[in-house]
Amino acid sequence: MANYYDIDGILMEEEFVPVVFQKPINGVNIDESTEKGYVEQGSKTELPFWLAHELHMRQAVTISVPTCFNQKTRLEIQADAACVDLRSRCLYFYEFGCKLAPLCDKSIGLLLSYAFQIRYKEVLHKAHATAFAAASKFLMLLTKEETNLYEAAQSSMAAFKKWRMGGPRLQRASILGRKRKPAE
Amino acid sequence: MAGQTDSTMTLFSSEEIEFMAEDEMAEIVPNLRMDSLNFICGDYGPFLPQLAAQVPLWLALALKKRGKCTIRLPQWMSVENLTRVLEAERDSHAFQPLPFHYVEISRLLFDHAREDIPDMYMVRSLIEDIRDVRFHKVETNLEKFTASTVTWKNMSAMEVNVIRAFAGRALQAFYKHDNEQETPDTDRTPNKQPQIPTDRPKRNLKPR
Repeated sequence: MANYYDIDGILMEEEFVPVVFQKPINGVNIDESTEKGYVEQGSKTELPFWLAHELHMRQAVTISVPTCFNQKTRLEIQADAACVDLRSRCLYFYEFGCKLAPLCDKSIGLLLSYAFQIRYKEVLHKAHATAFAAASKFLMLLTKEETNLYEAAQSSMAAFKKWRMGGPRLQRASILGRKRKPAE
Repeated sequence: MAGQTDSTMTLFSSEEIEFMAEDEMAEIVPNLRMDSLNFICGDYGPFLPQLAAQVPLWLALALKKRGKCTIRLPQWMSVENLTRVLEAERDSHAFQPLPFHYVEISRLLFDHAREDIPDMYMVRSLIEDIRDVRFHKVETNLEKFTASTVTWKNMSAMEVNVIRAFAGRALQAFYKHDNEQETPDTDRTPNKQPQIPTDRPKRNLKPR
């Protein structure tokens, strides 16, 4: 865990995962319509990741693969990873995948690394070449991590260009030169 | 404030890199007589008219602004050398050896000592061309890299700085995903495998 207060980490753990209960649990209700007041063994529901993870550690649930890593997404990524809209699938695709991989399906790791390698190149090209307006459509497809990358590249390039163009090197303090008019 | 590092994005701003570049040595021909100057970074001088002296670039520029010296163009900034470098850059995949701060030094000289540079426009456009070619090379190199070792020789300070934020993040991500693949069982899973947590988790105290 990199940083306890990392906002992206916190938001990422809010993602829902499908789980199957392995134990009957008293005193909780996952479905408002029933009035049983307990959860039966083998019932399925979706829980946020932070809760599912804790329950998984206590062997109360098993976690299955959420939709953003299902077979359909995998096929799309294999077809053309650069064009897949990962943002709408899961904003924290990579981080979430990394957390999830050891808990339900190890092959997610492979998928992530493959997708990142392809999409990384796309980000690289777009970040250094395109003007901001033209890239906005492309930005809609990126996950949080990729957006960060893109912005990092753009801003350092912009800063460099600004430096190269120059402009006023010494900024005059506003208080200076106010009292006296230039002698003419 | 302008010119200062934005802590989230890069380690240094371009202005800071330029500041560091001013420590590089330059050769000047003073036109005044002055005793030697003693600084923390070293002693320079004494200065005698028409006798060349080695000083840091910042001192050279300060004297130049007051009209007390002319700056001699560094060897690598001659038109012949730059033409040769540009051709070599275009021909090979490797970066040609140039001073680490070539972008900044050339910019400072263009700004403050333009009358000391013969063929100013030629030199300037050559350096721009070299920079563009090299930056294009940087991009193609970036395209190829994965989490394995990356060795690029002769990259300059500004080139490194422009890609620093991007490359750092990308490498981190590559590293993370590669680790995820290769060692899913050794270092991660034991912590996350089903286990009953002890009621008091152990705390690591900060070393003092």
